[in-house]
Amino acid sequence: MITAVLAAFVIFSLCVGAMPVEAAGALGLLAGGLLLAFGRHSHSGMLVIDIYARRSRYFEWSPALKTAGCVLLLVLCVVSPSPWVPLALALILTVLTVAGRGVTLSHYLALFSLPAAFLLLSGLALLWDYVPVKEGVAAFPLWNGWLVITAEAQVRARLVMARALGAVSCLYFLSLSTTMPEILSVLRRAHVPQVMTELAVLIYRYLFLLFAAYHSMRDAAASRLGYSGFARSVRTTGAVYGNLLGTSFRQAGACFDAMESRCYNGEIRFLQREKPVTVPAAALFGGLAAGAVLGIFLAVRGGL
Amino acid sequence: MGELLCLEHVSFSYEGGVEERSALEDCSVSICSGERIAVLGGNGAGKSTFFLLANGVLCPKRGTVFFRGEAVGRKKQELNRLRRGVGLVFQNPDVQILGGTVEEEISFGPMNLGLSRKEVRRRVDGAVEQMNLESLRRRAPQYLSGGEKKRVSIADALAMEPELLLLDEPAASLDPENCRLLERTLETLGERGLALAVSTHDVNFAWRWAQRILAFHDGRLVADRTPEEFFSDAGLLNVCHLEQPLLFRMARAMKICPLPRTAEAFERAVAEKGEKEGEQP
Repeated sequence: MITAVLAAFVIFSLCVGAMPVEAAGALGLLAGGLLLAFGRHSHSGMLVIDIYARRSRYFEWSPALKTAGCVLLLVLCVVSPSPWVPLALALILTVLTVAGRGVTLSHYLALFSLPAAFLLLSGLALLWDYVPVKEGVAAFPLWNGWLVITAEAQVRARLVMARALGAVSCLYFLSLSTTMPEILSVLRRAHVPQVMTELAVLIYRYLFLLFAAYHSMRDAAASRLGYSGFARSVRTTGAVYGNLLGTSFRQAGACFDAMESRCYNGEIRFLQREKPVTVPAAALFGGLAAGAVLGIFLAVRGGL
Repeated sequence: MGELLCLEHVSFSYEGGVEERSALEDCSVSICSGERIAVLGGNGAGKSTFFLLANGVLCPKRGTVFFRGEAVGRKKQELNRLRRGVGLVFQNPDVQILGGTVEEEISFGPMNLGLSRKEVRRRVDGAVEQMNLESLRRRAPQYLSGGEKKRVSIADALAMEPELLLLDEPAASLDPENCRLLERTLETLGERGLALAVSTHDVNFAWRWAQRILAFHDGRLVADRTPEEFFSDAGLLNVCHLEQPLLFRMARAMKICPLPRTAEAFERAVAEKGEKEGEQP
């Protein structure tokens, strides 16, 4: 809901001046409406990502290729001097992710709403300025000065937001087609320091446990009317969080024991299935990267 | 039968409590290869502590653990030798599950042993086959049902190819169908010569399945006997808050000898008794 309103307002601010005010307003409302209609909010977002990844048809692709390809595209998005290259990449990757059958469009948008909220808030800060003299493409009086959008700020905000959008799409393509353990094993092979990958594995694993413990505690509290009324809800929430600490400590201890019993030696390794680099996967990433490079080249040459 | 595991005057207490209560006190026991042992005792009697000590996750405060005649100290190498030879299946499979797929999950143990990929693959395939997990290979273990998770956690331990397998209340929170499946699994594993120690609250299961009973009460090993001796001792059963198995009681009441272990054996014995009584006018 908040994301949708924000999106409508930011898109309006981005476009005002470049087109008639009515058109900018309509565009903003359209984007907000779309987000409102499709972007159902889900609370267990973190946990479902892995399920989507397993369902995706890109799951069978080599995780190393996917990771390398997405990182390459991400870098290209960020260095692009024109907003059109990352925007096009974001659009293509979104279509590809949804076409991969792992995740539906509404779930994708729901997952997107979290980073989108941050993106839009920073967009607002980039777009709007508070100055003593009226200037720019849109201005509202406020106390002794003006709240304004300048064309310059618009250009900058468009670029920054397009880059961020492209980068997030790249990461979403990766995480919605590759499971966490696979990404971690790629990182390990890429000689990322072991302590980081190990920590990530453990965090990833305890997340599941923590979520499960939290859900059962919350349900148990709800079944005893722990959330009837605001004051009681606050108290119950506090008690649940407090207990969660103790529970998770015990859980962590038990899990460590279980690892020890299987000869854990400080290094978490699994037998991974071999997923060779395939032609369509390589062609896709090659094509996208080539397209992005060409786009950047044209932008630099022609000032697109 | 060679001796596998031996605990000599082992004591253990958990630190950090308000009063330091001994979780296991002066426990001496020896387990040989191929044995089928039921471990009985109420909650907090020391069964789980006993298993954790036998697997080398905990180190005794006093006393010594021997594996195949060699004392196990606190060195990582020695502990790992014990952990490799003695597998432990935890009561709650969730604490054990680590991998993203069932296959990965099972491979964790063998990978830790530093085996070659081929050998790890062979062991994982073997454990998958033994626990009948073929159709779940690529699934995420976190989302499996309770019974399936239990099978995965047993496969985890089997992939280490232990000589003694400890199962901590494996039937807890399993439905009757999964319990039957578990019992059949235990039967097959026993036939392959694997020594098994199963902690349980089900005296009927203990009577049906076990060759030997270890009973714990209040941190002490109070009995190490055959099932016949154990369940005949009313005083001991009272101390452990246990009851006689139904079959045992019925067979005793009907003066059937030897005491039948299964319902089928009981029915046969009753039929035979009936025939004999029919012959005598």
